[in-house]
Amino acid sequence: MSFTLRSVKVPPNSVNLEEARSRVFDFFRSACRSIPSIIDIYNLDEVVTKSQLRSTIAAEIRKNCHVTNPKVIDMLLFKGMEELNNILEHAKQRHHMIGQYVVGHHGLVQDLDSKDQGLSDFLKNFYKSNYF
Amino acid sequence: MGLGLLASRAIRPFNSSSSSRLLLRTIVSKPELQSPESSAAAADACPEPDLPPRTPLAGARVHFPNPEDAIEVFVDGYPVKIPKGMTVLQACEVAGVDIPRFCYHSRLSIAGNCRMCLVEVEKSPKPVASCAMPALPGMKIKTDTPVAKKAREGVMEFLLMNHPLDCPICDQGGECDLQDQSMAFGSDRGRFTEMKRSVVDKNLGPLVKTVMTRCIQCTRCVRFASEVAGVQDLGMLGRGSGEEIGTYVEKLMTSELSGNVIDICPVGALTSKPFAFKARNWELKGTESIDVTDAVGSNIRIDSRGPEVMRILPRLNESLCTNQEFNKASDRLIKLGLRPNNIFLPETYPTALFYLELRLPALAFLEPSGPSILFISFFTCLSLFIPVIATSVDINEEWISDKTRFCYDGLKRQRLNDPMIRGADGRFKAVSWRDALAIVAEVAHQVKPEEIVGIAGKLSDAESMMALKDFLNKMGSNNIWCEGTGTQPNADLRSGYIMNTSINGLEKADVFLLVGTQPRVEAAMVNARIRKTVRANNAKVGYVGPETDFNYDCQHLGTGPNTLLEIAEGRHPFVSAISNAKNPVIIVGAGLFEREDKDAIFSVVETIAKKGNVVRPDWNGLNVLLLNAAQAAALDLGLVPESSNSIESAKFVYLMGADDLNLDKLPKDAFVVYQGHHGDHGVYRANVILPASAFSEKEGTYENTEGCSQQTLPAVPTVGDARDDWKIIRALSEVAGVRLPYDTVGGIRSRMRTVAPNLLHVDEREPATLGHSLKPEVTQKVNPAPFKSAVENFYMTDSITRASKIMAQCSATLRKK
Repeated sequence: MSFTLRSVKVPPNSVNLEEARSRVFDFFRSACRSIPSIIDIYNLDEVVTKSQLRSTIAAEIRKNCHVTNPKVIDMLLFKGMEELNNILEHAKQRHHMIGQYVVGHHGLVQDLDSKDQGLSDFLKNFYKSNYF
Repeated sequence: MGLGLLASRAIRPFNSSSSSRLLLRTIVSKPELQSPESSAAAADACPEPDLPPRTPLAGARVHFPNPEDAIEVFVDGYPVKIPKGMTVLQACEVAGVDIPRFCYHSRLSIAGNCRMCLVEVEKSPKPVASCAMPALPGMKIKTDTPVAKKAREGVMEFLLMNHPLDCPICDQGGECDLQDQSMAFGSDRGRFTEMKRSVVDKNLGPLVKTVMTRCIQCTRCVRFASEVAGVQDLGMLGRGSGEEIGTYVEKLMTSELSGNVIDICPVGALTSKPFAFKARNWELKGTESIDVTDAVGSNIRIDSRGPEVMRILPRLNESLCTNQEFNKASDRLIKLGLRPNNIFLPETYPTALFYLELRLPALAFLEPSGPSILFISFFTCLSLFIPVIATSVDINEEWISDKTRFCYDGLKRQRLNDPMIRGADGRFKAVSWRDALAIVAEVAHQVKPEEIVGIAGKLSDAESMMALKDFLNKMGSNNIWCEGTGTQPNADLRSGYIMNTSINGLEKADVFLLVGTQPRVEAAMVNARIRKTVRANNAKVGYVGPETDFNYDCQHLGTGPNTLLEIAEGRHPFVSAISNAKNPVIIVGAGLFEREDKDAIFSVVETIAKKGNVVRPDWNGLNVLLLNAAQAAALDLGLVPESSNSIESAKFVYLMGADDLNLDKLPKDAFVVYQGHHGDHGVYRANVILPASAFSEKEGTYENTEGCSQQTLPAVPTVGDARDDWKIIRALSEVAGVRLPYDTVGGIRSRMRTVAPNLLHVDEREPATLGHSLKPEVTQKVNPAPFKSAVENFYMTDSITRASKIMAQCSATLRKK
């Protein structure tokens, strides 16, 4: 972890939401620019395309779209940069990348197709686990 | 008795007015103990303290058979009213003072040999053993004086003289009475430098581990074995320091209640063999639940660590009111209330209890462990009303059978954890729930409605049986029953399948006639109650059925229905015993449900009951002793098959944990779905397996043989991909297109309320309202074939116990050949 901390500098806090917003876009751009090298490092070209990864990054950022506190945004940005650095430093392995950013949190079994439409919430929960 | 509680009691100053004593505790070194008499005199000089009202200790109760027998004693200057004949120790308990004790146990006879319960009584030259001393009117008992403290400290010193200091490797560590009490009452140093004695360990079988050096000769286990269990296995050998507990000759303890000696042993001399070195009691999470291995529904505590059940212990569940007539009154109170000015105002429990404590300090009873907060006497003179719960729930006292206690390792073996489908090669293949349910639903729609059969197993809870019945009815079939109830069960009259006397009520009986039942193996706790009655009232017991051994005096009347006919016709000598009895009891075993001529046999039994005046308005002595945990609820919910030979024509069979079923007659092409938690008999014939949760993993309602509904609580998470039983059926109904209208446990319970409302009155015994007289005439002929025993092996009766290694060891070594 030490090399990560070395490379990620903590910038001063954003003074307002505008500044935080522009920092998020900067981060998104830098992440998108590193996509080719990520695909290269982890041999991801046979499982994912650049555009897919781009939209995964965008989705990860949009998960936090409700946050309006600039301090929180700064914190999330810091975590994002840390993650990006970890990836670029090859601190992860291929299956981490595939598990987290290619397959996503739904797991490998994704039969959420037309079969599930019209099912009650009970049945959907039942298929997931015993505890609901 | 928690350590903290004891310690705080010991630390608490006995005289609140002298604040100097507050700081003067008392691990030891006690100037006052050096000369107890003089300091006692000094204490007397203090003004009479104004003590706060105390609540009686857990379980302590006062019941006045006739109020003129009440006497008043003073415990630490605090007056309490108790009935005549109570001991000093019981009086102290009513007053809320816990007396340390080792040999005294409220359900065993009094031995008085540990001397730990010494208290000072005014005008008595020496401290008295409170457990053996009857309280006399006006007695002034002092529990916290220097004399009493010195006496306890001395006793403690003698006990520890020969007790090994192996608490770190002792399984009792953390829940040991000796450990707790030596912390609270013992000296801080020992004066003995000699060697400790050592005693050879005894082999008592696969359940009870002995470390006899730790024994303090309290003789609780000896008294338990001879009084409650009814086996003369244990005894005291030798005298003085050579005294030891043992079996005299090398012999195993063969009682079905032997595990209880583990609980009553105050030290680590008798501990659980399967639990040895497995866990410490402070790591365990206790869940109060219900046992399902027989129809008694013993109250248990499941101790678990993480996802694993570590042990099962009995739980005390008794309420204070046993007056059934009072509870049956039509104007039973439903709401709690206060009556300040003759106006009834509903009130909350905390307020009411506060009021109760304020007004009647000595007679206020709080039972912290349940909903049954009861108040027993002097009801009308108080301006406070507390609703009383229907009848007393006092099912297993504080004992449980060995099967209940040690079956838990079966919950870890042979478990089904994934939905599976049998492939063309006859092997099971794990599939997803989606696929499994889809296949089951598809097959269910391919067969004719009358070819669908559903069978609930002996461990099913009421919720899942309700769901199964609703599902099958929606599919157009009504062929559903619970295994063990036979093909033509009588579910119309509730009095025809429950224990009408109630387990508690058996204690009033004076003659027992057991018909085709062996309570010792079918329901060990009921048998313990019968034994208690036989000991207390000299009740006479006669049984009709195969010859078995009972642990009380009984008379073998015959083996089959012919004997019953003789009794009914008055040709048998036992008739006079029944007709002369005040409260005769007939117990019919549920094993007879499987007989073809069961209606005829039941009508013969009813004739006996009629002639012997067994069923009267004030006494109903005609009982059925059920075999399985699910039976009573199944019959209450009306799980009765439409035709008696539906198995032969079935094409789609839904087994909900049904394992003990003869499926030989099932057609070869029938599709069998097995929903259950263990890979047991039912799985061999199954086409699809749906894994379900066991009783320790779900919340379910069970009704016991006396008609008392109780609920289990989940103690551990489910195994693998298993689901709760009712959820599986609810999901399947939706996949099959006949969606059941409930999504939650609450929903399914409100559906149950419309069918059998008594199942929702948890921890209440609901007596049957209509008698046997409404039954139609029976035209069946009695088959003279003798009765068979219903349970072959006490230790292995269901899928959980059959999967248990401990139960297998027990059947190998302890089973009566």
